[in-house]
Amino acid sequence: MAVTTYSGAEQYNFDVVKKFAVMSLVWAVIGMFVGVYIASELAWPFLNFDSPYFSFGRFRPVHTTSVIFGFGGSALFATSYYVVQRTCQTRLISDGMASFTFWGWMAAIALADFSYVLGYTQSREYAEMEWPIDILIEIVWVTYLILFVGTIMRRKQPHIYVANWFYLAFILATALLHTFNNLAMPIDLFSMKSYSLFSGVQDAMTQWWYGHNAVGFFLTAAFLGMMYYFVPKQAGRPIYSYRLSIVHFWALGFMYMWVGAHHLHWTALPDWTSSLAAAFSILLLMPSWGGMINGIMTLSGAWDKLRTDPIMRFMIVALSFYGMSTFEGPMMSLKEVNALSHYTDWTVGHVHSGALGWVAMISFGSLYHMMPKLWDTKIYSRKLVEWHFWLATIGIVLYIVAMWISGITQGLMWRAFDEFGNLQYSFVESVAAMHPFYAMRAIGGMFFLTGAVMMAFNMFMTIRQGKRESAALEAKLASKLAHA
Amino acid sequence: MSEQKLQSQTVQTTGHAWDGDLQEYNNPLPAWWVYTFYVTVIFAIVYWVIYPSWPFGKGWVGGVSNITYVNSAGETKTHSWNTRALLMEDLNKAATAQKPYFDKVAAMSYEQVAKDPDMSGFILSSGKALFADNCAPCHQAGGQGVVGFFPNLTDDDWLYGGSFDKIHETITGGRRGYMPSFGEVLSGGQIDQLANYVASLSGIGHDAAKAAAGNTLFHSETAACYYCHGVDAKGRKEIGAPNLTDNIWLWAGVPSAENPEGKVAAIRSVITSGLNKGVMPAWAGRLSPEQIKVLTVYVHELGGGQ
Repeated sequence: MAVTTYSGAEQYNFDVVKKFAVMSLVWAVIGMFVGVYIASELAWPFLNFDSPYFSFGRFRPVHTTSVIFGFGGSALFATSYYVVQRTCQTRLISDGMASFTFWGWMAAIALADFSYVLGYTQSREYAEMEWPIDILIEIVWVTYLILFVGTIMRRKQPHIYVANWFYLAFILATALLHTFNNLAMPIDLFSMKSYSLFSGVQDAMTQWWYGHNAVGFFLTAAFLGMMYYFVPKQAGRPIYSYRLSIVHFWALGFMYMWVGAHHLHWTALPDWTSSLAAAFSILLLMPSWGGMINGIMTLSGAWDKLRTDPIMRFMIVALSFYGMSTFEGPMMSLKEVNALSHYTDWTVGHVHSGALGWVAMISFGSLYHMMPKLWDTKIYSRKLVEWHFWLATIGIVLYIVAMWISGITQGLMWRAFDEFGNLQYSFVESVAAMHPFYAMRAIGGMFFLTGAVMMAFNMFMTIRQGKRESAALEAKLASKLAHA
Repeated sequence: MSEQKLQSQTVQTTGHAWDGDLQEYNNPLPAWWVYTFYVTVIFAIVYWVIYPSWPFGKGWVGGVSNITYVNSAGETKTHSWNTRALLMEDLNKAATAQKPYFDKVAAMSYEQVAKDPDMSGFILSSGKALFADNCAPCHQAGGQGVVGFFPNLTDDDWLYGGSFDKIHETITGGRRGYMPSFGEVLSGGQIDQLANYVASLSGIGHDAAKAAAGNTLFHSETAACYYCHGVDAKGRKEIGAPNLTDNIWLWAGVPSAENPEGKVAAIRSVITSGLNKGVMPAWAGRLSPEQIKVLTVYVHELGGGQ
């Protein structure tokens, strides 16, 4: 047991893990702040200040890039490096490469955010970065792949732990998605502007093949990897079923690749393409739930921990939201449901029940578990963790409920015909009807942001405490040596 | 003791351990999970049978559900399920509901339509939808317009006339408002005099001496403002020249100026630069004659019809 709690500074490269962990919290606060700001712009449009630099259109990709790739991406780098080293009992194969992935990834996100504010965008959702940044990401990602696979190949364990399969699937799929979705021709070597290699409906199809698999492999598979290590660790119990993990891993990977076209119902995409995708989305339901079952059943027999352990609560709520949004998604992918939900705030609510409920909550839980171990100390304040949990949970509920109501209201208003066969509402009337729900959503976001700020403070104090303790320990040792 | 009991009840682990204490049980797949998956497989197959689904040769499998609609040529068509056919079916339904009313509108005069209580509901509903789709982007949802860009349709001031016939003419053929620029023809002092005169017509604070000189200039051949705006400055609707005496402003930012000097300056800038942006597109061909008739009555009833 002594070995497992040992910080292992020599055995493992924890330096890069620490850097990514800290930066994931920094990006969380930045990205969520921008999110709250743009949510407020929708409720109170004067916040645009009639300036392009403050406009929703430019800030929105700053928000999505900062939270998905800044916060989520950094949390994945941190935990994957931590998990792969500990479960393979070997150090990352190259400190230089690890350090390069850190600085390269940070540079890519910072450059991307700045370029959006200046007005540069590819206009591809979740892939707005223009081509020079795409190339930087490509290099960083291939380095990450080599580093991860190399480390697994050097493992001192005969078997590869399940979390690493998920991380590896995520790294491979993301490399594939990033490469093909961003194939573009720059207008010249010194211009940020480029044109996609695909046109028309093929372009839309490529974008949503990317978009949905970014959800599938970046935001689902990778965070399942996180779940497969941190949930059993925190619960102190074995994973419920090895067999289930194999079956749902392959089923998830196979099904996800088909479903992107369900984002393009009711568009110029041929109808057969989107209904094929819709049916695969239904087939994806149970493979998605496999991860939730394995996570929740791992806890069975240790339910009492939910009362006493706020970190465990983060993880269980994350799994519950994961289950809910992976049920909601397939439902929304059916043509008839999509006819109501498409283009409405329901979609926005759905994304956030996955992003806040699943991705952010499982990351918070995992970081709360991992960060004190990295700095060889205890959490500075458990009370703040409790507060964070409740603020985040209330924030998510406010957000999702607001978007459900406003989304369904929009959908119903847009399709309402009166007795004369005329549309009952004009578009602007539906916009006016959204106002209270936009305000409610912004407030939900503020709750969530406040929790994240608390966590950043709590972890800052934890790190400071850890450094002081180790300094005190060293001083003690030094004085003992001097006396001896 | 309890530890032992737990051990004997549970299934075996896979026998591997990672990072000290990470292990995996080898529980079988939950039966409900497996069976629910089979149900989703059946669902997917049924879905594929109903809707167009798999690519096949140069086409695709169409699915068994059909949609029947009437196309724009009046032919009845039946198609395997597709988004366009569904839209056509929806539009057919709406057209069927609207037809009796449109037929009535076509047969009645404007005055009859406006006064018929049975028709007012239809005009309000149909007119509102047509107005929101076609007119509101410029004239705003309530028809109040935007100073400096688009005329207000709810007041009594009409550039081209507010009778049914004139509104109909405006919607059908569109309009193009134009005023030449005087910046190079007149001196700055002359333009200032004219602006003060125009301000005086609407009772806006002005310099009396300048206004008097402006009055002369207005009616002279030098500036020749009266050609278009009329000797009484009340405008000429035949050419869309606005009334300058009613304190209603479309082009000059008079209402938003805070003091008389600012208001006069706003008028001055219009005289100096002239105008070439009063463009309203023609709707004939884009809307049916019945739709234009409905819109005419709707706009007439917005508040200012004459």
